[in-house]
Amino acid sequence: MIYIVTALPCEASPIVRKYGLKRDSCRHFPLYRGDGMCLIVSGVGKMSAAIATAYLLAYDTGLGQTGGEKGLAIINIGVCGAFHQRYPIGTPLLVNKVIDHETGNQYFPDILIEHPFEEGSLETYNHVVRQEDVLSGRVEPQADLADMEASGFFQAASRFLSPHQIYIIKVIGDYLDVVDFDRQRVAHCISGIMGLLDGFIKGVEGLCRVEGDVLTPDERQQLEKVKKSLRLTVTQSHQLMDAARRYKLRTGRQLPDLTEFTQTQIKVKAEGKKAFERIRRLLLYE
Amino acid sequence: MSKFSHIYIEERATNYPVAQQVLKRFSDSKRVIIRHYKDVFNRPHQDFRRQKASTKLILAVKPEPFLYPGPEVCESFGNQNFYYTSPILNCIYDCHYCYLQGLYPSANIVIFVNIEDFFGAVDRQLEGGTLYLCPSYDTDLLALEGIVPYASRWIEFAGTRQGLRMELRTKSANYGAIAHLKPVEQVILAWSLSPGEVAQRYERLAPTLKARLSAIKAALQDGWQVRLCFEPLLKVDNWQQIYGKFLDEVFSIVPAERVFDANIGVFRMNKEQFKRISRLRSDTDVFAFPTVCREGGVVTYEDEEEMREFFYRHLSRYLPQERIYG
Repeated sequence: MIYIVTALPCEASPIVRKYGLKRDSCRHFPLYRGDGMCLIVSGVGKMSAAIATAYLLAYDTGLGQTGGEKGLAIINIGVCGAFHQRYPIGTPLLVNKVIDHETGNQYFPDILIEHPFEEGSLETYNHVVRQEDVLSGRVEPQADLADMEASGFFQAASRFLSPHQIYIIKVIGDYLDVVDFDRQRVAHCISGIMGLLDGFIKGVEGLCRVEGDVLTPDERQQLEKVKKSLRLTVTQSHQLMDAARRYKLRTGRQLPDLTEFTQTQIKVKAEGKKAFERIRRLLLYE
Repeated sequence: MSKFSHIYIEERATNYPVAQQVLKRFSDSKRVIIRHYKDVFNRPHQDFRRQKASTKLILAVKPEPFLYPGPEVCESFGNQNFYYTSPILNCIYDCHYCYLQGLYPSANIVIFVNIEDFFGAVDRQLEGGTLYLCPSYDTDLLALEGIVPYASRWIEFAGTRQGLRMELRTKSANYGAIAHLKPVEQVILAWSLSPGEVAQRYERLAPTLKARLSAIKAALQDGWQVRLCFEPLLKVDNWQQIYGKFLDEVFSIVPAERVFDANIGVFRMNKEQFKRISRLRSDTDVFAFPTVCREGGVVTYEDEEEMREFFYRHLSRYLPQERIYG
C-alpha cells in the first residue's frame, strides 16, 4: 500500500487523475483511494502535514492497533522553492536530508533503491521564504530546497514506519521569487513527474513487500486452536509460536499433527501446562 | 542500490585525512553532511536486513571513551588488561549468526576518522602497564582495508609500542593488503574459521574456507603469529563428521607447529541480542536449535559442552593443549 501526502489540492489532482483515485467520505481531510494507494491532502504547514500523516497511518492502516506493518510506504509529494538555480523549474528531487528550520533537527530517509531522481536536502520553514529574505540575510539557507511541510511529515511518519518506508519528492516550483500563486503551474509541475513517479512507486513497493511468515495460514490456524483449547497464557502462546517457527526452520518440514491438542478440554491449569510442555518438547527435539 | 551509494559525513569529520581518503575512493557516492553520526546510525525502526542490501558509509569523529574492557564471552588467551576498541562499527560480511545485528540499530558502517585519538588512548593506557587489545571485534578491519587502511595503521602503531599485544580478528582473505608489512611481534593475526559448507551457508559474502586457509598459509610463511579461531561452532546435520573433516582439511594446509594458538567457541550470544536477532532472521535455522540461558545471560546450545569436548578432542590431535583456549 502506498500512502501519499500532498499539501494542496492542485498538487494532488494529477496523482488522483493518473491512478484513478476516488474521493473517500472522510470528514476530516480530503482523502482519495484507489487500488493499493491512498492520498490525503493535508493543508499547508508542517503541523498540518504531521496531523494528516499521523491520521493516515494510525487510523487508516490500523498501525495504532497492530503496532507495526511493513508492507507499506508513505511519500510526501509537492512543489518547493530552490535556493539556487542548479536545477531547472520542474525538476523533481528525492530528499535525502530534512532540516526543521525552527528546531534545527535533522531527519534522514533511507534510500535503499535505485531511483531516477536527483537528490537534495530540504529545509522546512514555518513561513514562506522569499528571495529577499535570503539576500537580506534574514534567512541563512542550510539546504538546497525550502518547503513548509516535510519535517512535520517525516516526524509523524517515523513514529510508525521505518526510514526506508518514508520518502519525500519535491518538484522545484520556483526560485523563491513567486509573486502570484498559480495553481495550474503547480499542477503542471506535478504532472510532469508522473512517469518517473510511477516507476519509483513500483520500486518502493518491491522494497517494502512483507516477507512471508514461515508458518502457513493453516498452521497458524491450528496453533490458534491449540492455544484456545489448552487455555495458554500470553507468554505460553508466544513460546508456542516461537517453538513452531523454530521447528520449521530447523527441520524444513511441515508442523507435526497437533489435532490431539486441539481436541483436549482443559479443566485445571496444570493439565494445560503439561500438554503445553509435551508440544514444546515435540517441536524442539523431534 | 549499490553499496556505499551514500556517504554521511559529520561536519567535524570532513577535514580529517581519513575522511578525505574515503571520499576520494568513493567519489561517485552521494554525500550528505550530518551533525552527529547517531542522527543517522541510531534512527528508530531501521531495518537491518534491508539496509544490509544497500549499506551506506558514515564518517564520524569518535568522542571518548576509546577503550572498553574485554567482554566476558570473549577469550582473553591468558592476557591481563584485556580491552577492545571499535574504530569501525559493523562489517561488510553478512553472517547469519553475527551479534552485530542485535547490537546496533543500523547495518550502515561507521568509520571513525580520528584514528590518532584511538592511538592516544592506547598510549595513555600503556602508561599504567601492559595492554591486550582487540580492535577488530565489532568489524573486520582487514576486510575493510581497501576502504580504509586501518588494519595496517594498527599494525604499524602496535609495532612501535612496548607492552602492547594486539589481536586482529578477521574472516578476510585479503592478506595481500598487509603482506608488504614486516611481521610485528606485538600483533597476532587471528582468522575465524568454519567448515566449508558452514561458511557457504551461514557466512554470506565472506571468503571461502579455502581462500582463508591460503591467506593463513601465506601469513605464516611471512613469519606472522597466527591464531586460529574456531568459533562459532554451529549446529548442523552431522556436525561431528563435518567438524572432524574440517580440522583435517585445515591442518592439511596450515602447518600446525607454526600456529601460535587457537580457541574454541560454541555459538553463544547475549540473551537480549539472541531474542532480537532471532526475530529478525526467519531465513536461517541458526537460532532454531534448543538453547539454554546460562549464568550471566548468555544463550548457547543445550549440548554446548558436548560440542566443545568433541572439538577439543579432535583439535588436540593437531595442537598441544596449552595452545588451545576456550
